[in-house]
Amino acid sequence: MADNQRVVIIGGGLAGLSATMKLCELGIPVDLISLTQVKRSHSVCAQGGINSCNEQTRQLGDSEWKHFDDTVYGGDFLQQQPPVKEMAYWAPKVIDLMDRLGVTFNRTFEGYLDRRRFGGTLYKRTAFAGATTGQQLLYALDEQVRRWETQGMVRKFEFWDFLGPVLDEEGRCVGAVAQDLVTMEIHAFPAAATIVASGGCGLIFGKSTMSVFCNGSAVSRCFQVGAKYGNPEFIQVHPTAIPGSDKLRLMSESARGEGGRVWVPRTPQDPRPPKQIPESERYYFLEERYPQYGNLVPRDIATREIFNICVNEGLSVEKGRMAVYLDLTHIPREELDRKLGGILEIYEKFQGVDPREQPMKIFPAVHYSMGGLWVDFAKSSDGGLQAGDPANQRTNIEGLYAIGECDYQYHGANRLGANSLLSCIFSGLFVGPCIQTYIKQSGGAAVTRTPSTLFDAAVSAQQKRHEDLLNCRGGENPYLLHQELGDVMTRAATVVRHNDQLDSAYAKVEELQQRAARASISDTGSWTNQNVVFTKALQDMFPVAKAILRGARLRDECRGAHYKPEFAMPSLTETDPEARRREAEQWCDRFEENNRRYLKSTIARWNGTDPDISYEDVDTSLIPPRPRLYGLVGAEIIEQVWRERQAKRKEQVATAGQ
Amino acid sequence: MNGPNSSFFLRHEFLIRRLHSLSGLIPVGAYMVVHLLVNSTLINGAGAFQTNVHKIHALGKFLLPVEWAFIFLPIIFHAVVGVWIIRSGQSNHSQYRFTANWRYTLQRWTGVIAIVFIFTHVFHLHGWFHAQWWLENVAQPLGMAQFRPYNAASTLAQGMQNYGWPPFYLVGILACVYHFANGLWTMGITWGLWVSPAGQRRATLACAVVGLLLFGVGLTALVATQVTDPEEARGVEDRMYESEDGDR
Amino acid sequence: MSAPTPANPSSPAHPTKVNVRVLRQDGPGQPAYWERHQVDYEENMNVISVLQKIAAQAQTVDGKKVAPVAWECGCLEEVCGSCTMVINGRVRQSCSALVDSLLAENATEIELRPMEKYPVIRDLVVDRSRLFHALKRLQAWVPVDTYGHLGPGPRINRPQQEEMYPLSKCMSCGCCMDACPQYQKIELQRRPGESDEQYQRRKEAAYEQGFVGAAPISQVVLFNSHPTGKSIADGRLDALTETGGIQVCGNAQNCVAVCPKDIPLTKSIARAGRAATLHSIKRFLEK
Ligand SMILES: Cc1cc2nc3c(=O)[nH]c(=O)nc-3n(C[C@H](O)[C@H](O)[C@H](O)COP(=O)(O)OP(=O)(O)OC[C@H]3O[C@@H](n4cnc5c(N)ncnc54)[C@H](O)[C@@H]3O)c2cc1C
Ligand code: HEM
Ligand code: HEM
Ligand code: SF4
Ligand code: F3S
Ligand code: FES
Repeated sequence: MADNQRVVIIGGGLAGLSATMKLCELGIPVDLISLTQVKRSHSVCAQGGINSCNEQTRQLGDSEWKHFDDTVYGGDFLQQQPPVKEMAYWAPKVIDLMDRLGVTFNRTFEGYLDRRRFGGTLYKRTAFAGATTGQQLLYALDEQVRRWETQGMVRKFEFWDFLGPVLDEEGRCVGAVAQDLVTMEIHAFPAAATIVASGGCGLIFGKSTMSVFCNGSAVSRCFQVGAKYGNPEFIQVHPTAIPGSDKLRLMSESARGEGGRVWVPRTPQDPRPPKQIPESERYYFLEERYPQYGNLVPRDIATREIFNICVNEGLSVEKGRMAVYLDLTHIPREELDRKLGGILEIYEKFQGVDPREQPMKIFPAVHYSMGGLWVDFAKSSDGGLQAGDPANQRTNIEGLYAIGECDYQYHGANRLGANSLLSCIFSGLFVGPCIQTYIKQSGGAAVTRTPSTLFDAAVSAQQKRHEDLLNCRGGENPYLLHQELGDVMTRAATVVRHNDQLDSAYAKVEELQQRAARASISDTGSWTNQNVVFTKALQDMFPVAKAILRGARLRDECRGAHYKPEFAMPSLTETDPEARRREAEQWCDRFEENNRRYLKSTIARWNGTDPDISYEDVDTSLIPPRPRLYGLVGAEIIEQVWRERQAKRKEQVATAGQ
Repeated sequence: MNGPNSSFFLRHEFLIRRLHSLSGLIPVGAYMVVHLLVNSTLINGAGAFQTNVHKIHALGKFLLPVEWAFIFLPIIFHAVVGVWIIRSGQSNHSQYRFTANWRYTLQRWTGVIAIVFIFTHVFHLHGWFHAQWWLENVAQPLGMAQFRPYNAASTLAQGMQNYGWPPFYLVGILACVYHFANGLWTMGITWGLWVSPAGQRRATLACAVVGLLLFGVGLTALVATQVTDPEEARGVEDRMYESEDGDR
Repeated sequence: MSAPTPANPSSPAHPTKVNVRVLRQDGPGQPAYWERHQVDYEENMNVISVLQKIAAQAQTVDGKKVAPVAWECGCLEEVCGSCTMVINGRVRQSCSALVDSLLAENATEIELRPMEKYPVIRDLVVDRSRLFHALKRLQAWVPVDTYGHLGPGPRINRPQQEEMYPLSKCMSCGCCMDACPQYQKIELQRRPGESDEQYQRRKEAAYEQGFVGAAPISQVVLFNSHPTGKSIADGRLDALTETGGIQVCGNAQNCVAVCPKDIPLTKSIARAGRAATLHSIKRFLEK
């Protein structure tokens, strides 16, 4: 086998596995490195489903373009549009493929894929397999990769920790260094190309809806050697999670997609059991405030409303703890079991209450990071991506690629539900031919021509870090430091952000980072030492945490998941039609002004101690930005003004072109 | 589990296990059912029993090969493979106290009891080998090989006089019947006859009924051996032979 | 005020401390030993949070400094299978094992042990590679031609999907095999001078002699009922009738009783049993 073509992939979630199988099909062997058995990757947690425009929605006027548009609008225009467009147009094909691979999607009676509705759209686009879609998708890919493994195309390195990319003198990535978590041995993996598919970084916030593997360490290790990090401040907080002491378990959006209703008693902390509170004394605040989307407003909005209801309006259903009701009890049991069985079991299992009988108590939790490693793309003439172009998904380091949740380009300021599984599989499949081209162009030189001394040096540098840590006796407890970091980040950088809090959080994180450098390892063994592995991951959380805080601090606006009340765009207050019209004009002026300043990707680069922040233009060539007006008072008139302006602009462009 | 022997087992594991399963029903299980039914006819008197035994022994010189081919060898096969199977598992009923797990463990225990029982029992009544030398010098001096097909009821009743035998037979019957009835149930799963959990529950019930009936039959036979008076039976048998002679 | 009452978590009868007994082992082939820990009780605690506290404390109940207990976890919501261990004598996921219900089983202490049928790597971490090897042996995948676009997959009606979906939820946690009396531990020691590949090959050869276990059998049923997966059904049944195949099952049915995903394993075993028999008869006649 052409070993000089070997590709190293870090991470075997949906993204890593789909890239692996695609590369194998192209005849390129893969070394797959993962913290855990790839079948246990975080992607198994995804519950709700995966989006695509489909035959049923098409008849209602849906199209790939509309899926594209919803995604961009939902993400507040912060995405690079060509990749998003390509993804939306691939979506039906991705689902067809997963269907062929045997994913047990729910079916209509006739045997077609069943669909449900998800947040941020008016169409039933979401294909699902019960309430465990991520699990089914991941397993299908895992099975394909196992098939390639038996044919010798894939070598799996499970229970290995990626410690960093290896760069040659020209700054090209020529492979990776990783550590066996059982034997603690450190090895280099020379590679013609390296793909990072390491998922999200929820652990930086202490507790989140993510798996414990989502510590962001892999991304941070690339960031620290020069990879750019895009849009760090955009962290999605999911509106509905089950508060828990070790984890905040997700209650999928599909609960609302299937008709779940969010409410609180109108009387604060009404002591009656929820079922005894009459309809008239319940406040269905999402339905009332967003009649069109109801309970399925985009996540950022639902999250802020729930947060607001509890924190500012004091309507939390419990005294000491924040929560609202998510109610499914009006739906027949049998239907719930068929469509939502998995997630309802989770609630029942961990809370000991049957959500088919009692409304669930839920509260927002950190859920997804829209930001991630900056990656490039090659735009095609039709506004999508140029297939097979080696620039696609490539970081600013040649030979280093990023796909899946850990890249930054598909979800902008806010991810729509059921779009992430899509972006992971899509980017994994799409990157295959791009890497193939890259290897062809570079002739696999990275592997053949790199002197082994380079890899030896990389290994010994990591060896030294490992040993220094084992010998460190600074007295700090890494587990407690992690808790503190989580608390700081959750308070300052989630639902609502204030500049003064962000400043003090940055100082606190700086202090924690220095203390983490003095962590004491209570296990000094050289066999399956989880203590030292955790400490390393902890230390590597700080650069990303700092990028999140600084990115948030510098972005003085509200966009998607990033919300600073100080800079919120106001509702219209004038009642007189003319004054209201004028107010709307001003609103639009301010909106345009704001876009000129902030409709930019935040780019963080690590300077050794802190992130440097700069901004890059966003490709909005396909869908011009428009105000995101869910539920705003005066939305109609603003929309009208905006449409007129757009029309005028088009006319100008047209006449200028003549 | 090493050595050439077991590796032969391992190589043909599927076939051997299927044959083992089958042998439990046919011929071993089937034999036992018929055997217990025949034995239970003793309750109707020595004459009825003797007539049935006669029917079997009418095979004459074919009896020996038939006995070996359809009874002894299958039982030995089933027993040897059974022991190998028992050794390949490790019961954990004390840790996992589920009914099915208890049944699994009992299936193994009763298998072991069955070996001891059947081998002793056959020695006791049949004598294992019908070679003159063996019977005279080994079996009979030990109080074994008690049964005479031409004096079926009386020798049987006589052989069962010792106080030790009835409880021994009771345990043997219980074990064999449980083993057979539960074996039927597991067999239905092994061969895919009852598939769904509900189907398996219904099958449990059916097998339990079979087991209870069969136990009743076995118990009848055992009771019959105790209530039959050997002297009286001998009289009946003698009269039967006389009349038979007269027929000729 | 003696035993805690888990039915009412807010009841004051709760202990303030939880005693935990952990069976530890420093590495493969090393002796195992018990160690006692004590952590503060909190409401809604699960075994993961107990282990997290133990890791943060890093000392036993007698104040002896010890290395944190090694264990695996991932999703913390019982979908990844990582955190499987034997808790109070029963194999299950530690993330969904709630302390209140464990204390109801045994009020004095919680007992944690590694899985029994897999070689211990360290403490509560075991090597479950055999389980994944079985999936390879049984070709548990749909053999598609290409990952290119060829339109939708075969139509599958709802009842069929409802049969298949439960089987596709198996998270390879290994509970069903750990509790199975017919599934025996296979543990090899690495020989001095043996390379990774050699050791790996020797392990796989040993795995091939052992029972495949309930979960992989169930996967065969899943893939053999998929319209495309069927195309290599014979190969799967071949594998299922080799050494360590379905015949090893002795119908103890612990598998189905401990499976956290309620997978109808015994139904799968019955279906696979029938298919395997028919298949081997067919093979015999055709050979
Ligand atoms: C509870 C929950 C529910 C969700 N539901 C949905 C949904 O319904 N629809 C949807 O579209 N999206 C959903 N999402 C989002 C989606 O699940 C994730 O974005 C997606 O699964 C990420 O996949 P991935 O392949 O990028 O990474 P992951 O699946 O996270 O995989 C990362 C891989 O990288 C490896 N790795 C990480 N760090 C290292 C390291 N240092 N060294 C070696 N390996 C490493 C890990 O072992 C793992 O194999 C959900 C997310 C959560 C938290
Ligand atoms: C009350 C219960 C039983 C009685 C009275 C009884 C009686 C007898 C008698 C009289 C014989 C001798 C037959 C001969 O030598 O021709 C015999 C043989 C035998 N019995 Fe039983 N039996 C009983 C239970 C069982 C059971 C439970 C089994 C288990 C399978 C069993 C298995 C056998 C076998 C294998 C033989 C030897 C076969 C043969 O001789 O043809 N018996 N039994
Ligand atoms: C002589 C000693 C015996 C031993 C050691 C023995 C052992 C066993 C064992 C271990 C099993 C379980 C096989 C498995 O689970 O795969 C079994 C099954 C069975 N046995 Fe026996 N047995 C013996 C005698 C008998 C007798 C006398 C009968 C009939 C009366 C019998 C009928 C069965 C049946 C029907 C099965 C079920 C097979 C299956 O599950 O597929 N066995 N035996
Ligand atoms: S079948 Fe159940 S118990 Fe067995 S591995 Fe799968 S999920 Fe675990
Ligand atoms: S526990 Fe084991 S013996 Fe068979 S029925 Fe289940 S695999
Ligand atoms: S941590 Fe995933 S199953 Fe428990």
